[in-house]
Amino acid sequence: MTAYGLASISFALFALAAAGFLTCGSLVRMLMFLELMLNAANVAFVALGPGPGSQAYAVMLFAIAAAEAGVGLALILSLASAFKTLEAANIKELKG
Amino acid sequence: MMVSAACYLFGALAALATLLMLFQRDPVKAALLMLAALLSTAGLYLALSAQLLAVLQVILYAGAIMTLFIVALTALPQAWRDRPAPASLMRVLGLAAAAVLLTELLKFSAALRARPFAGAFSDEGTLPLARELFGRFAFQFELLSLVILACVVAAVALAAARRPAQ
Repeated sequence: MTAYGLASISFALFALAAAGFLTCGSLVRMLMFLELMLNAANVAFVALGPGPGSQAYAVMLFAIAAAEAGVGLALILSLASAFKTLEAANIKELKG
Repeated sequence: MMVSAACYLFGALAALATLLMLFQRDPVKAALLMLAALLSTAGLYLALSAQLLAVLQVILYAGAIMTLFIVALTALPQAWRDRPAPASLMRVLGLAAAAVLLTELLKFSAALRARPFAGAFSDEGTLPLARELFGRFAFQFELLSLVILACVVAAVALAAARRPAQ
């Protein structure tokens, strides 16, 4: 197995999660796909990095993902109570 | 050989779960598919001899973050009410964009074809990782606690803003 095979796995996960992020309209699902994109980046760190140093970066990315999920869901709860919807297309006030 | 097979198996499982998530309209079923993708990634870490990361993946991602999502889905009735009709054109366009992104990424990483992966399984990866985290990366690792603290304060502030004044 070459590093290219592992990179392909990571890239496929990232591309699929990006497709989900672009196509789904629900804010919660968008955050879910965002987490999966971060997860794919983590796989690339572990698979392609030189050793324990890259795994240390992956551990730090875990903490950042957890923080991002917490703040993201708090934002979504606020938006849901203000606009009574979770569909990004229905939140007109955010449009520029 | 076994390591390569495990990597491809867990990678394919994670990709399949993510793909099925794209076409799932029920939010709880989508969350369960996400859980499957995260657990498959934990298996991938295990195959790559990153045992600590596999454990953290199960505890943090598949445990804590998934619980947050399920709680959010339970607390938000809008998540159940808003189910837009699947726009097939949008899905196809999204998948086409993903295919273009994947092709470009694979094209730019073609140099990795010549780089072999040290596929031998090792169960001694945790100690060097701990030495890195508490040695070379100690400052960055401690700095993360400030990031988490800021996020906790932000989440509490957002939740307090939602509550009506007494």
